[in-house]
Amino acid sequence: MVGAMSPLDKKLFRDLGRMKGQMAAVVVVMACGLMVMVMERGLVCSLEHSKSEYYARHRLADVFCELRRAPNSLRTTLSHISGTAAVETRVLGVATLDIPGMEEPAQATLVSIPDDRPPRLNLLYLRSGRLPLAGRRGEAVLSDAFAQEHGFRPGDTIDATILGARVRLQIVATALSPEFVYELPPGGIMPDNRRFGILWMGERELAAALGLKGGFNSVVVDVSPYGDIRTVRSELERILAPYGARIAYGRREHPSVNMVDEEIRGLRATAVAFPLVFLSIAAFMTSAALTRLVRLQREQIGQLKALGYSSREIGWHYTKFALVAVVLGTGIGGALGLWAGSRLVLLYHPFFRFPSLTFHPEWPSLFFGLVASTATSLAGVATGVRRAVALSPATAMRPEPPGEFRRPAVRFPQLQNLAPPSFRMAVRNLRRKPWQAAFTGLGLAFATAIPVVSVAMDDGIRYMMDFQWRLAQRQDVTVSLVEPGSYRAMTELAALPGVLYAEPFRAVPARIVAGHRERQLAITGLTRAARLSRLLDEEANPIGLPRGGLALSEQLAKTLRIGPGDTLRIEVQEGKRPVFTVVVAALLTDFAGVGAYMDIEALRRRMGEGSTISGAHLEVDGNRWSGFFAAVKRSPRIAAVATTRSVRETYDRMMGDMMDITKVIMSLFAVVLSFSVIYNGARIALSERTRDLAALRVLGFTRNEVAAVLVGELAILTFVALIPGLFLGNQLTRLILASTVTETMRIPVLVTSRAYATAATVVLVSSFVSFGVVSRRIIRLDLLGVLKARE
Amino acid sequence: MFDHGTNGTSLPGLHAALQPLLSARAVTKVYPTGAATEVRALNGVNIDLYERELVVLLGPSGSGKSTLLNILGGLDTPTSGTVRFRDTDLTEADDRMLTRYRRETVGFIFQFFNLIPSLTARENVELITDIATDPIAPEEALGLVGLGDRMDHFPSELSGGEQQRVAIARAIAKRPEVLLCDEPTGALDVKTGMLVLDAIGRVNRELGALVVVITHNAVIAEIADRVVSLSDGRIAGVRTNTIRRPISELSW
Ligand SMILES: Nc1ncnc2c1ncn2[C@@H]1O[C@H](COP(=O)(O)OP(=O)(O)O)[C@@H](O)[C@H]1O
Ligand SMILES: [Mg+2]
Repeated sequence: MVGAMSPLDKKLFRDLGRMKGQMAAVVVVMACGLMVMVMERGLVCSLEHSKSEYYARHRLADVFCELRRAPNSLRTTLSHISGTAAVETRVLGVATLDIPGMEEPAQATLVSIPDDRPPRLNLLYLRSGRLPLAGRRGEAVLSDAFAQEHGFRPGDTIDATILGARVRLQIVATALSPEFVYELPPGGIMPDNRRFGILWMGERELAAALGLKGGFNSVVVDVSPYGDIRTVRSELERILAPYGARIAYGRREHPSVNMVDEEIRGLRATAVAFPLVFLSIAAFMTSAALTRLVRLQREQIGQLKALGYSSREIGWHYTKFALVAVVLGTGIGGALGLWAGSRLVLLYHPFFRFPSLTFHPEWPSLFFGLVASTATSLAGVATGVRRAVALSPATAMRPEPPGEFRRPAVRFPQLQNLAPPSFRMAVRNLRRKPWQAAFTGLGLAFATAIPVVSVAMDDGIRYMMDFQWRLAQRQDVTVSLVEPGSYRAMTELAALPGVLYAEPFRAVPARIVAGHRERQLAITGLTRAARLSRLLDEEANPIGLPRGGLALSEQLAKTLRIGPGDTLRIEVQEGKRPVFTVVVAALLTDFAGVGAYMDIEALRRRMGEGSTISGAHLEVDGNRWSGFFAAVKRSPRIAAVATTRSVRETYDRMMGDMMDITKVIMSLFAVVLSFSVIYNGARIALSERTRDLAALRVLGFTRNEVAAVLVGELAILTFVALIPGLFLGNQLTRLILASTVTETMRIPVLVTSRAYATAATVVLVSSFVSFGVVSRRIIRLDLLGVLKARE
Repeated sequence: MFDHGTNGTSLPGLHAALQPLLSARAVTKVYPTGAATEVRALNGVNIDLYERELVVLLGPSGSGKSTLLNILGGLDTPTSGTVRFRDTDLTEADDRMLTRYRRETVGFIFQFFNLIPSLTARENVELITDIATDPIAPEEALGLVGLGDRMDHFPSELSGGEQQRVAIARAIAKRPEVLLCDEPTGALDVKTGMLVLDAIGRVNRELGALVVVITHNAVIAEIADRVVSLSDGRIAGVRTNTIRRPISELSW
């Protein structure tokens, strides 16, 4: 095995063999850091890659604009907007789908495709089948995720209700679209492939079904490389305003695009934070292990110098110890990262529907990781080695002079007298090496912090779900009408089978303007007596609906930089499109989605309408769901139903795996970190104090008492690090959650005692296991023999 | 054999015509030991050492023998004074030159056998043969000290005398011009000590190296060409033996 190897390299490998426990500890910690980095950077790279290729190849539009209806004759005007490369008008709508074997109706977004030519923008990626043939009625393309979920294949039929009319559509293809990579149902917070899908149909047929014959209600634009997106957007808005256009928004504000970008942003953050923690701890551990090695081998260094080895050769020899750790750490971490990345990317498939999303390792990041961990470890080793080779060989070969004994700056007289001698000795030892103790403590603090983060995230999500769908939205189901209805519609909804209680709501799309900031969203009118849909503050206490003003989501108020008392301009984009000002009367807490609420009467007054409703929140008898759903499916006026319980179900189905894996990985990291840090600390302490401990044995201490001195040191550190570690976990949770805040979802920072208890348990248990391992070593060590032998 | 002078600095007879291999002039070494105190380990030492000589350094413990030997071997630098090896001033030399001097010229043997514990006997010798210009094969060097059959043993598997002989093999493998031995037999019993001394003597005779041996043992001095006595950091006397007794006749 060691044939042509130089004697120094043989020494290297034999010494490494003797400190393999410690090396393993360092390597594992380093590998963890690299694994996260390679995995997450690889995921970022994969998503970026799939995304840009998909968007480019399938010509995702740059600008989107929805309107009420404009005649097809306007197309020419639109195509003459300067700076556009392609303009496509289309028809969008919604349908409810009646899926055999499913109680509740499913929802679909309807999108038109040109009848007589292939689309120019947002090209479909066909998974199976063909595009509808020109002139053939009743043919539709179904989104692949939905088709897969329900086992639909080309040739199957599907029953849809569009604007109250029931049609039977024949599925001719299943497809993906760059516009719907993330299939967010309207008003939803995550994809729900069981209850929501996309249907593409021929333009003429769909326009007729939606009552838009000869017109369109959506425009998508590809801006030419020389065009200016902002001018294109304002031109579009100007031309289309008379036709009920809302804001023309860019690609980045498109919900699907936005979600993909947000995910990438989150991954980027963790791809830096975690590796940073792990690599710096690994660097410290390498440095501590090697400083100790260099100190132990001081005489050997003197010997090598005496034999004529140069400082450079000797420095290089010790540097190789660090390099072996780095090579192993990056090698193992890199390989694990590639493996984990290629597995983890599969978990993204249900969320992000790309034609292909495969793992693309980002080699530069692996290289960067190698460089970073090399640099940090070398920095750690440098001082020790430099100090050792700087000694003249004659000095190096003498035993190191004992350190000066200093009186500690802080003393605890009472403690000193009360505590057993082994405890006092442990404290003194810690105080003699404050830096080493500090770093070991830091490592333990991080080990404690990590499970805090994972449990807190889990708790936060649970709380968010609970807050949103049990405390704030207490209805069992929300039904939306196809067209705003009168009070008679309300009585009809209340009379649906199984309905115990009904509350109307009025939702109008509007542009909210605060100074030069604006946002497009729905203003919801609720009755002041509403008890199903409630507005809550941070502590989940209901806040009453203000009589005149607007109640605004705190999150939204922050982005608009406004507070209670400020005045907003509201430009309604429905009905008579009134523009009015309103005072912000209250701020409410909202974790999913952003809302703006008004008294339904006040809203109707501003709208200049009577008792109009957009839908109702219902309480439904749990035993009569099937009757309720059957009636809903039959009703031509109901456009959408959203059941509250489905949200939770969907969450568990969609996010469950992802969260479980995250939790497992984080706990594993915590165990690895605390075990490694303690083991490393114990080995160093053991080798440094072997003589002291042996002396204790001579003085008549038992083996267990001697072990207690050493373990005592580490136990003290573990306990001392616990509180800062929990605090660190709290801060880390804030930091990480802050990086995951999106417009549609915000996980509350909720570090509960459960998080602290779990973290403390994980760290204490793994600490005690490593104490056990170390104590066994001490007990087995022939301490008396040590005294006789020269080191 | 040789007609040596009676002190370290003036060199009558044969040596007058020769240039010394190593020479120390006014060498002083001061160790600071505390804020105000210091130890003057060497205090103005002058000495010339010649090729092929075997010199014994005698003196009580703490007299500065090791310090002098370390300075002569380039393991340490004097506080003041000069040390020359042939035409090179070692006191002016930088780390690179000192390293080269140690690597190519000097062999060292210490009292505590200093071997690398994680390397076998052969590998310890290879440490030298790996970097020297014209080395003796490790096997041959170990054969010279009678350890041809223990080459693959680790230091912990060898007796003290065997370890010291490995150290000698390691020191001589580079064919040193100067072999410096600091109490090579100090930690050994008589019989093993003899074996070690015999090995050292052979290096002197067969390789023609200048050998300097530190010892507390006056009897050993009888094998030397010259005996230099140190006391309190100064050279107290130099005695020249006209006849070197063979090592086998020594007894102590
Ligand atoms: N590194 C050192 N620091 C302080 N004092 C030293 C050091 N090395 C040697 N000395 C002192 O210098 C004197 C001479 O030491 P040394 O040369 O080892 O003597 P010898 O080898 O003759 O016994 C002694 O008093 C010793 O204590
Ligand atoms: Mg000495």
